[in-house]
Amino acid sequence: MARYMERAGFMCRLLHIQSEALVDRPIAEIEFGWRRIYTAIDRSPLGGIQGAGPEDDYTLVDAYLLTDELTFVRENPESILSCLERGRENARQIRNCVSEQMWTALNTEFLRIRDIKLTDIWLTSPGSFYAELLAGIDRFTGVATATMYRDEGWHFFRVGQFIERVQFSCSLLLTQTRLELQYGELAEASWRSLLRIFHASGAYDRTYSIEIQPELVLDLLVTDRRIPESLLRSVDRTTQELSSLGDGPNAATSGALRRLAGRLGALLRYDWPDRDDREEVLRQVLTYSRQLHDHLSETYFEYAIQGVPRSDVR
Amino acid sequence: MEFKDYEIESSFYDEMFEVDGSPREHCVELHSTLTDLTQLELSTMQERVTRSFYNEGITFIVYGDEAAGERIIPIDCVPRVLANAEWRHIESGLDQRLRALNLFLEDVYNEARIIADGVIPVDVIRGCPQYRIEMRGLSAPYGAWVAVCGTDLVRTNDGFRVLEDNLRVPSGVSYMIATRKAVKANLRNAYRRSQVLDVEHYGKLLLRTLRDIAPPGVSDPTIALLTPGVYNSAFYEHMFLASELDAELVEGRDLIVNDGYVYMRTTSGLRRVDVIYRRVDDDFIDPLVFRPDSYLGVPGLLHAYRLGNVTLANAPGTGVADDKSVYAYVPDIIRYYLSEEPILANVQTNLCRQPEGLEYTLDNLENLVVKQVGGSGGYGMLIGPHATPDERDAFAQEIRSAPDNYISQPVLDLSRAPCLIENEFEPRHVDLRPFILRGHETRIVPGGLCRIALPRGSLVVNSSQGGGAKDIWVLPT
Repeated sequence: MARYMERAGFMCRLLHIQSEALVDRPIAEIEFGWRRIYTAIDRSPLGGIQGAGPEDDYTLVDAYLLTDELTFVRENPESILSCLERGRENARQIRNCVSEQMWTALNTEFLRIRDIKLTDIWLTSPGSFYAELLAGIDRFTGVATATMYRDEGWHFFRVGQFIERVQFSCSLLLTQTRLELQYGELAEASWRSLLRIFHASGAYDRTYSIEIQPELVLDLLVTDRRIPESLLRSVDRTTQELSSLGDGPNAATSGALRRLAGRLGALLRYDWPDRDDREEVLRQVLTYSRQLHDHLSETYFEYAIQGVPRSDVR
Repeated sequence: MEFKDYEIESSFYDEMFEVDGSPREHCVELHSTLTDLTQLELSTMQERVTRSFYNEGITFIVYGDEAAGERIIPIDCVPRVLANAEWRHIESGLDQRLRALNLFLEDVYNEARIIADGVIPVDVIRGCPQYRIEMRGLSAPYGAWVAVCGTDLVRTNDGFRVLEDNLRVPSGVSYMIATRKAVKANLRNAYRRSQVLDVEHYGKLLLRTLRDIAPPGVSDPTIALLTPGVYNSAFYEHMFLASELDAELVEGRDLIVNDGYVYMRTTSGLRRVDVIYRRVDDDFIDPLVFRPDSYLGVPGLLHAYRLGNVTLANAPGTGVADDKSVYAYVPDIIRYYLSEEPILANVQTNLCRQPEGLEYTLDNLENLVVKQVGGSGGYGMLIGPHATPDERDAFAQEIRSAPDNYISQPVLDLSRAPCLIENEFEPRHVDLRPFILRGHETRIVPGGLCRIALPRGSLVVNSSQGGGAKDIWVLPT
């Protein structure tokens, strides 16, 4: 549930920024925005991305279809509606672990957008739609923080949230660096929008300057723990939540899980500053974070039953 | 809003009005509140009640009609009111009935005295598909074969009658509570002034009942609720009850049997389970004993039950006591085990397995309701007066080819209650499903689920057939 909601939030921010770009940015920049989204989620759009053509109308038709696919199309598992729907199904299965307020926040947001069609918002205010939706998703997260009982369920909720954050952020940063390698120097606007996706635009200006330097942007988003969604902070929070969980059925497995999280933190803390092959580091982070998810599941949920429990074990 | 076009017919008992159109004494308060509300206020109230079900997620998807999306059972915002004396009568009748049925189950799976004494023909039991030979020689803890029961009652001008006993996995209790919460919030003053008796403590009574029947020697039992999964139409109820019981909600794959004990997977390892409130049908609970293709159950569960290491509520095999053929014998069952006259009457039932019952049924099809003995949910039945001659002929063929499978009953003049239909009060036929718990003692919350046949003139109240539901208010005096 936490992972789906986190992903929905990311998608919402990406589409909010993209919907704004559609209003006044050059076509090439808009096309870059779509490519960044699709590469980050490791999908291809239905029918492929149309190149920037001479006719604006043509691009606008594409934008419509892509926005729809990423927002409302249920067949796309990464669309916002799919994420909300799957988060809701998860929440339904564990209703006795989530607070009533969390269920209400999630369910009412889902019901609100379930019957909306892109035609209802496209010509008037897609930007406001995404802003409102993002507020709904943020409300869910806030309500969870305010109301959820601080037992094991809470720590699993937080671990899911932070692992998703690490994976999505890392994918996005990796995409940005790869596209730069592919296309050459990217426009300043693409780095600025990246900062906005991480809520880090103001922090960058305060820390460095209003001049964008890609290396500094990456450093900030990867290692500055003051940025709430920086990679290092998300990894540290994951490690912290993992240490709050019990050992599970097998202390050796849970120990291995924590060590993996430690390696991930060390990679960012000690390797990142000294390495030039930053794409490779990000790729490694992504691999480790995926392993972390799998190990977590194997440690606490899908574990093999070893040995015969004694009948007096209660 | 006035009840000016509300039709009262003397052939149907009206739950709110006397035959002369005046409100019944115990309905005066509610009647007055409803007439004081405007049409707009009532329709807004109805909308809020419906909305609350969507917001709570009390929805289900109909198998085979997934494209239609999530649905709710239509909830009518006008409650049905029962006077205290009426409720006491029902309550004592239900208690008597469940005590007798539990004694019957203990007997029929052990000594079978009731058969030996000629009260019930052996063929009736042998022919019942819900009779589980695997349960022979077993007993339920404290005789509570049926710990949770939902009995369907109807009222005619002659009083209350039992339509059927649901002794396997009766559902609807979460609707009872959700409906109560929604209606109470919208009719606050009438609710307070009427001092309606509470039903929301059902979860506590269920917990006490399940603790009562824990295996001997287990003082603090671990309870789990076994669900077929999130796609089951009653999943909301399973989740709701697990939450009320503070029990783990588990699927078959979460449980394992080892060394005759049942364990559930938890995030900290395996934990022993003592009581399972199972919401999975007999056929699916243990693939080693019942259907081998079941993925919903737990291999070895019945073995653990046989050893007395886990209690299943309800016990497997209870369906033999709510079979529609056995139903006809329940008054005799009560007399046999309790030496008492039944407090609640049965509906007159003709067994087609008996030559005279078959002949009567075939000669009077146009006046009878014919049901399959193993049918439920309003399926596999014929309502004679509403069927065409061709439908009756086709059904007669089916009855002749397998008479043991059918019973018939007269068409009942089910009582009617006012419902808000398209912003007007209209009478609709209703029934009543109270929920009865049996551990060391019988526990019943005062009320139940009132099911409504929503289409005008319809007598079918099943939710799968377009039925709805409404709250029941039992008054303290």
